[in-house]
Amino acid sequence: MNQTFEILGFLLIVLTLVMQWEIHVRRIITLFSVSSFVIALFLVLLGLNRPNEEYMLFILAGLTIVVRGITIPLVMNRALNRLHDKPWRVREAKPLLGVGGSILVSLVLIAIGYFIYQNSLYSILKVRSGSVPFALFLQASLLIITHRHAYIQMIGFLVMENAVVMLSGWVFGGLPFIVEAGVILDLLGLVVVSSLIIRVREHTILKEGDTVESELRG
Amino acid sequence: MHQDIIYLLPIFFSLFGAVLCVLPVKYVDRVVSVIASVLSLAVAIYLLFQPVYIDHYLYFDGLSKLLILTIALVYLSTVLYSLTYLKHIENLLFQHRLYYILLNIFVATMFFSVSMDNLGLIWVGIEATTVSSALLIATENNQVTIESAWRYVIIVSTGLVISLIAVTFIYGSAGTLSLHALLQHHPDNRVFLIGIMLGIVGFGTKAGIFPMHTWLPDVHGKAPAPVSAIFSAVLLPVALYAIARLIQIFPSETIRLFAFVLGILTVAVAALMMTVQTNYKRMFAYSSMENMGMILIGISLGGYGLLGAVIIIISHGLAKSSVFFLTGDVLSISHTTDMRKVNGLIQRLPRAASALFVAAMAVTGAPPFAIFVGELFIFAALIAQYGWLLALVVILFLAIAFISVNFKTGKMIFTGRENLKRERSRTETWVAIVNLALSFLVILLIPYFETLLKNLL
Repeated sequence: MNQTFEILGFLLIVLTLVMQWEIHVRRIITLFSVSSFVIALFLVLLGLNRPNEEYMLFILAGLTIVVRGITIPLVMNRALNRLHDKPWRVREAKPLLGVGGSILVSLVLIAIGYFIYQNSLYSILKVRSGSVPFALFLQASLLIITHRHAYIQMIGFLVMENAVVMLSGWVFGGLPFIVEAGVILDLLGLVVVSSLIIRVREHTILKEGDTVESELRG
Repeated sequence: MHQDIIYLLPIFFSLFGAVLCVLPVKYVDRVVSVIASVLSLAVAIYLLFQPVYIDHYLYFDGLSKLLILTIALVYLSTVLYSLTYLKHIENLLFQHRLYYILLNIFVATMFFSVSMDNLGLIWVGIEATTVSSALLIATENNQVTIESAWRYVIIVSTGLVISLIAVTFIYGSAGTLSLHALLQHHPDNRVFLIGIMLGIVGFGTKAGIFPMHTWLPDVHGKAPAPVSAIFSAVLLPVALYAIARLIQIFPSETIRLFAFVLGILTVAVAALMMTVQTNYKRMFAYSSMENMGMILIGISLGGYGLLGAVIIIISHGLAKSSVFFLTGDVLSISHTTDMRKVNGLIQRLPRAASALFVAAMAVTGAPPFAIFVGELFIFAALIAQYGWLLALVVILFLAIAFISVNFKTGKMIFTGRENLKRERSRTETWVAIVNLALSFLVILLIPYFETLLKNLL
């Protein structure tokens, strides 16, 4: 079973890597949807592996498909459709990294995730390939940092959440159902609110141009 | 009636208020919000005299009760202030009705966060505060407020993912997320330790703790006055509440030192940043950050340091909401947040200006306000544990903050041309004045707080 988890983990990393160099927002949303289905498959397999918690994990897998795999991409695509005449052409205007650069940096991050895990947590957790969720988390951070398009930043955050689901399931055996369900509901609320904010934001940027940098300095 | 229902009433009233705001009747949103906030405050006061209550879902001790009271006080004042203030906002992103719906839900999520026994549900509650409050920041529809709302969502949510990882680590090593179970027994291993530390960093993002504080000045600088007030007064302390619980669960030397260092760095960065601010709302945002740093120091020290932290939470909540309400008055006559363009406030808005002067003194820890007493408690614990030198360093940063804020506020109030036209005084200023007076009266209740927090000191 561990090998299957490793294959799914690897698949998620590859999907995030493709998101990294893809510039069209709609395709990135589709890739996120696919990665959510992979997470759901992971939860089903985890359920089969743990007979005591199988029903909860199956319900969670169902929730993941409905919310992360279908509803969230649907909400984002609809928001994109409302804002643009040709939503399939919406793209990251100035990606910070090209294809080569994103592959290189992603590989470095995978190595960093592996190095940190092997040298700090492996001796305590004793879970083989436990570095995969950490590498995924770092890649999601890269997705947020290297993109300015709000939808892609949002997807980066959602991939981060997927990494946490994987971490809790793979390494620690999952969180209590009520907490996982609460997290998914929060996520849905966050995506709906973010879509509204992004819609207004893009609308004002299209109308007035991007002029906020001088006023928001952190 | 089940006893636990009483403890859920503040959540119920605010949520029910949000639902009733939907009714298509004129002014129903305002009337319902006032009633919901008054009822929540009444229950919060009643709960102070109820025994500690702990079951599988709820955890109500002195700390929760005092947080509920602070949230309820600021909730009522924010609703009252919003009644008239919203009229001054020209380009509203949405109707008043949605503003009150979001405000009520936002308060309900804060009540929820400080009432739960489960660390995972506390996380869910704090993340839900982000969902419900993000649109409130953008109440005034312009590119900058929208951008700050977006930054708030992405930075705070990313930070909270770190605390979700922390929750995962804690559950993975302890097998439970229940506060009362973890307080009775918890593992003493590295996974648990890392979990607690990640939790401090993650929840610290929401509390404006260095180094994940960058959203705070942007949001406070651009949100409408009542939203800045409720953020600064109670949202930041609600996140610190989670940190206080984590430290209470695992009060090891490493954890305390980690939180202490973050607290000092927060105070230092905030104090230094205050000196270069030209936007008065951003300056007061950094003042909130400085106070959160002091609270974190108090929590990390424990004992009377913790009592000091709680005194600051309550007193700062009232005084800082007062400050932000008053900045709203200033903004509505000056139409700018640039303090170099604001002067002669004492002539133009004498009542609000006088209150702002006193409120600025209060939030920077001037005696005889309760923040000063809270800081004294923290310094007593700090000197006892780390000696005079470190205490002097913190005092130096507090002095920098005190001088920056009061000098700049004084300049806006007292300098300027003579014979400036006096503006019509605003009724909502009284809300700020009442909060300021309450913040002063907190000092009288300190012995009672000590009794309430007996099990934590």
